[in-house]
Amino acid sequence: MLLNRSGSGGRWRIRPDGPDKVTGALAYLTDMTSEDMLYGLVLRSEHPHAVILAIYTDKAKQLPGVHAVLTYLDVPGLNAFGIAHPDQPVFCEDRARYIGDAIAAVAAESPAIAQQALQLIEVEYEPLQVIDDPEQALLADAPQLHPNGNALHRTTFCKGNTEEGFKQCTYIIEETYYTPRQMHTYMETEGGLFVPEENGRLTVYSPTQHGFMDRLQLSRILAVPQSDIRIVSSPIGGSFGGKDELNVQPYGALLAVRTGRAVKMHNSRRESVRAGLKRHPMKIYMKTGTDAAGKLLAHEVSLLADTGPYSTLGAEVLNFAAEHAIGPYRYEHLDVKGVSVFTNNGMSGEFRGFGGNQSIFALEGQMDRLAERLGMEPWDFRRLNLRKADDPGPFDQPIAMTEGAERVWEAIAKCPLWQERKAMKQLEQFAREPWIKTGIGAAITMHGAGLGVGIPDPAGGRLLLADDGKIEAVFGYEEFGQGLIASLEQMLIEQFGIADGDIRIIIGDTDVVPDSGSTTASRATAMMWKSLQRLRAPFTGQMLERASSIIGFPAGQLRLSEGGIRKIGADELLLTFKELANAEGVPIRCETAFNFPTSATDRVGAHFMYTYSAVAVMVELNTLSGRVRVLQQYHAVAAGPVVNPQGYLGQIEGGSSMALGFTLTEEAVMEKGHYMTRNLDTYLIPTIADQRGTVEVEPIEHLPEDDEYGPRGIGEVGSVTLAPAIAAAIRQASGKWVNRLPVDPGSLQETPFFLNRAVSEG
Amino acid sequence: MSDKVSGNELANGLTCSINGGVQSIPASPSKTLLTLLRDDFALTGTKRSCDIGRCGACMVLIDGKPFNSCLTMAYQCCGKQITTIEGLSAGGIGSIQQAFLEEGGFQCGYCTPGMIISVKALLDDNPDPSDDEIAEALSGNLCRCTGYGGIWRAVKRAIELIGCQ
Ligand code: FES
Ligand code: FES
Repeated sequence: MLLNRSGSGGRWRIRPDGPDKVTGALAYLTDMTSEDMLYGLVLRSEHPHAVILAIYTDKAKQLPGVHAVLTYLDVPGLNAFGIAHPDQPVFCEDRARYIGDAIAAVAAESPAIAQQALQLIEVEYEPLQVIDDPEQALLADAPQLHPNGNALHRTTFCKGNTEEGFKQCTYIIEETYYTPRQMHTYMETEGGLFVPEENGRLTVYSPTQHGFMDRLQLSRILAVPQSDIRIVSSPIGGSFGGKDELNVQPYGALLAVRTGRAVKMHNSRRESVRAGLKRHPMKIYMKTGTDAAGKLLAHEVSLLADTGPYSTLGAEVLNFAAEHAIGPYRYEHLDVKGVSVFTNNGMSGEFRGFGGNQSIFALEGQMDRLAERLGMEPWDFRRLNLRKADDPGPFDQPIAMTEGAERVWEAIAKCPLWQERKAMKQLEQFAREPWIKTGIGAAITMHGAGLGVGIPDPAGGRLLLADDGKIEAVFGYEEFGQGLIASLEQMLIEQFGIADGDIRIIIGDTDVVPDSGSTTASRATAMMWKSLQRLRAPFTGQMLERASSIIGFPAGQLRLSEGGIRKIGADELLLTFKELANAEGVPIRCETAFNFPTSATDRVGAHFMYTYSAVAVMVELNTLSGRVRVLQQYHAVAAGPVVNPQGYLGQIEGGSSMALGFTLTEEAVMEKGHYMTRNLDTYLIPTIADQRGTVEVEPIEHLPEDDEYGPRGIGEVGSVTLAPAIAAAIRQASGKWVNRLPVDPGSLQETPFFLNRAVSEG
Repeated sequence: MSDKVSGNELANGLTCSINGGVQSIPASPSKTLLTLLRDDFALTGTKRSCDIGRCGACMVLIDGKPFNSCLTMAYQCCGKQITTIEGLSAGGIGSIQQAFLEEGGFQCGYCTPGMIISVKALLDDNPDPSDDEIAEALSGNLCRCTGYGGIWRAVKRAIELIGCQ
């Protein structure tokens, strides 16, 4: 059944954060001000690669209204950050490795004075050769960007013997695929308010996807105990992975501590583009072969990722890409290699889909090409090679068993759009004009959730009855728009029988929440669900025992309900939550802590839980302009129970819109280490006019009876499968294979038939 | 004031109406309406995202027509009536806002005030717009979260709600 408002009935709810969002009342962290605050700005490198000979800050310091000018000399602790491996300097000391590298930061009484101060800082550079191509970076004589060379990380996975395997193949497809430097383009650029408190602590109001990780990183930089820092990190105006790593926080924190005054930072869009993370551009070579009947025998993959100047999560993204380059198929022989390479281009890092987007585009491209070579229906070809429910994961690791792959395959096979493709004899029959061509394509994937083997992945949360009678749910997760608060509220209502008015949700504040792990990797909803499962019996038990001691009925006859305690099967309110809270006794409070489930393998990064998805699309190609429009999308998503119908639909719609941009228009173009695309006039994300087609979403909720993991993540999966489906549809429409994104309209333009005729007749 | 250095504040100031209240304020020649609203009046419902007129997060109504406030100089607003999202919300949640709530026309909410301002301008002008007219009117408002599905539904619902009034 399709997911929509009318079919969801009462489960389609208004989000608790909605009223403040639609009225503009919600104060984002970048909306905050404080009396007497200063404005912080960062001076960034003029060159993508240079030796820094000297930095002169005297003139800037003397400018009236300037309260601090900081360089690497002013960092009391570790002059570096990075979630996985701190190698990105807070301030460059003697070398700049990209155009966003920070050299200095100023705090001044107005943005204009701060800007003027930046201009008064003199930096002497000696430009170095710019490494703007990962292949060039790997050459023996390339300048080395880091002590261990230019390869951040290499990964391999082998099984069988591909050389022998290819000898047995009847059909082999070899292709190289290219994917773009995509920008997250969260509408709220990075920023926040940094407040030194009277008690000597520092409060950081700045968006992040894991407050405790920011606290740890800032404590290293400031050389203060973590307990001296409070991170308030929600609400957030979009992140998509892009705000997981530190951005302005080191500068705001250092400036606030130095000046003893509150400091506000808010990146301009240009600065956000220049300094911020992007999706790793990848070059992916694949060679894939089958026997005469179409059974996959051998698959060889070589991934090359441009990770930019510093590590952040580049290694983890590459591991993820390697896993997803194998995907939901079975092969006898596998040889997957990847390397993530340092360059002087922009920073690459975490981004919704986490390396899956690139690999899945390539892998599904191989499947379509092989099917065509074999003369098979592309969907039937996939079925032939698709994993079964009890097959191990891509790295042959044990995974949580579901029938997801088969079920999403089936859903697409049956969906009206795919039926229509089968019925299409002459493509032209759909066309309004002879230069308009139509095509339908589809793709399938399995997408891992959680951080994977070998990476700490804690989870948990707390429930308590507050003094005012509210049931407080306290989690260390962040709300960046995905609807986390709404989903948590809905789970509490549905699982505990209480009402929205009984609930207070507290997130995003390291002083009060437990460390529930990061809000990344499609994990938060699943982890909240699991936490509530674990908390339900003990918390309900404590509540009902206390109620029983007050009103005299046995706890077993009581239930939690809207507003308070009722007898099972009866409507009369016996005791309000407020009365319960006021009663004598130890506070009612339950906490749980556990780890995201991982696979029993030692393969670092391998996943245990997967979401499966498949999508069919219809595109319309104008062969005069080369422009592609997506007319219809049908998504089948197997992610277990739908926790929050509106949120689920929104995640798939929003994720697929991001994928639409990735496929057709988005690329942060760089030349010699400089961004050519600097703002939203040249970086083109989809507008409402690009999203006029239908998007239908069929959730597949089925899980095995003994499944104990519940809902799977859906935050990323909508963004990973659309690109290859569009490429397949373009093939059907135009006869052309797409191997490079974003699709170049020039490559799809055709000479109109009437011009051909004019030429031949003339 | 946020740009002391650029100085040159107009002593004579500027008079305009912001959300119904007449305001007289000094505005330097380089101050945008967006800065005036956010920094001087703490009307932070109007958002800054691109600062070059490409995203619509800063959209406000000037005499009922939608304008990017990042491209509008404060001094150009002399004698004009400016309405921000706070002004639209002064009487509570209106039909357009209700439609956004019901249909999930927002996620992170950062584009939402600007989007709602544009929808308001559209529907005030044309209560029953075609899809082409909706797309045209809203194509200057970028939303990165929703993929516009919820926004399409919200606009259709708003048309219905307003039609029933
Ligand atoms: S901030 Fe004004 S249009 Fe983007
Ligand atoms: S709701 Fe986040 S940008 Fe529109």
